[in-house]
Amino acid sequence: MIRQCITPSTLEAVLNILDEEGKDVELIAGGTDLVIDIRNEKFKKSKLLNIAKFKLLKFININEDKTSIGSGTKFTDIVENGEVEKLFLGLWKACKSVGAPQIRNMGTIGGNICNGSPAADSVPPLLALDANLIMISKDKERVIPLREFYLDKGRVDRREDELLYAIKFNTLKRNEGIAFEKLGLRKALAISRISCSIYIQLEKNDYIKNIRIATGALGKYPQREVELECMLKNQEISTGLLNTVSKHMSHIVEQRLKGRSSMHFKRSAISGLFIKTCKDAVEEAKKNV
Amino acid sequence: MFRINFTINNKGYTVDVDEALRLVDLLRDKFQLTGTKEGCAEGECGACTVIMDGRTVQSCLVMAFQADGSNITTIEGLEREDGLHPIQRAFLDAGAVQCGFCTPGMVLSSKALLDKNSNPSREEIREGLSGNLCRCTGYNKIVDAVALASKYLKEEESDGASENSRK
Repeated sequence: MIRQCITPSTLEAVLNILDEEGKDVELIAGGTDLVIDIRNEKFKKSKLLNIAKFKLLKFININEDKTSIGSGTKFTDIVENGEVEKLFLGLWKACKSVGAPQIRNMGTIGGNICNGSPAADSVPPLLALDANLIMISKDKERVIPLREFYLDKGRVDRREDELLYAIKFNTLKRNEGIAFEKLGLRKALAISRISCSIYIQLEKNDYIKNIRIATGALGKYPQREVELECMLKNQEISTGLLNTVSKHMSHIVEQRLKGRSSMHFKRSAISGLFIKTCKDAVEEAKKNV
Repeated sequence: MFRINFTINNKGYTVDVDEALRLVDLLRDKFQLTGTKEGCAEGECGACTVIMDGRTVQSCLVMAFQADGSNITTIEGLEREDGLHPIQRAFLDAGAVQCGFCTPGMVLSSKALLDKNSNPSREEIREGLSGNLCRCTGYNKIVDAVALASKYLKEEESDGASENSRK
């Protein structure tokens, strides 16, 4: 039951409130998930801390080396950013596939990350980009790799006094590319049934110098597929290799989702999705010359 | 209670709202703007779409306090002194309305789309309306209506321009 809604005028005030009564308040930015919980009386805290209007949390900075996105940046603002589309096609595609236009107009990238959904669309590409999260609290700043942020389904490593300020990752350079693919039940308004994002760095055209693979909706939270990365790193890319790795991916999914009704579908579907994403990432990397 | 200032259909209001009230409830129950429909109540169907600061949102997913300081357009705000808005006219002329429950949301999503892109392709129209579901029919007539609305709006603009040049 909500008893109070607080809309502070400064970020400092937000951090003070989090510091003093962090355990009793819930942050609300876009609210596209939270409002449903409030309506269904699943929301247990008594206070809402409204951070939707802070311009300080809305930015996309792309420098030569680093890119950072403010946690309050709405998906529509990311989708309408031509630089993001050009440099990080996989991330752009993932953001574009979130919900529907109306949801992208409200929903923020920080909310998508902190909500801890296994199917959060923007998370696999950010994992593949090896992003770091910048968490701020009253007196300190903490940088945590996104891959360590997820603890369990719906549970993330955000301390009660902390606010996610921004997401930071390396700006892609020559021979690097990122791709994203998702399977949903329909084209729009679809929750991911499976998603996959791959970052690749090529050398001499077809030699994989570095690769990072992340999946969504294939476990308790979006995760890196390190085993597969090891199979592909420092290898010459070929159809045979991709087939072998995709078979192994099916096997991993089978083990991970054992006993779940979706296992048979996901086991088969991931292999095609993986190959498609990998080919797209290679194409992207070749484009960035 | 939480006090908010906002504009609905170009008129400013100050109201006290319950913290747990959603925008759709505020519009329908307090302002009797019942053109905004509530369908699924979880952001899937788009029947409750309104335009907030130039962008469409689902009013079932927005808390009333989040509307503080914003400018909202509902379907009631589209009609002009001389009659229906060209998009509304296009929906009627194209036969894009069956039961009509999804229509206010469809029309507002069309407006947000056409405000940004006055000449959308059929694909862009489908993309722009992808957050609005219609359970009566297929979407072809609705896409036709948006294409027709784009034509009406352009005609209106060129009529206005030629009138101005005559002056």
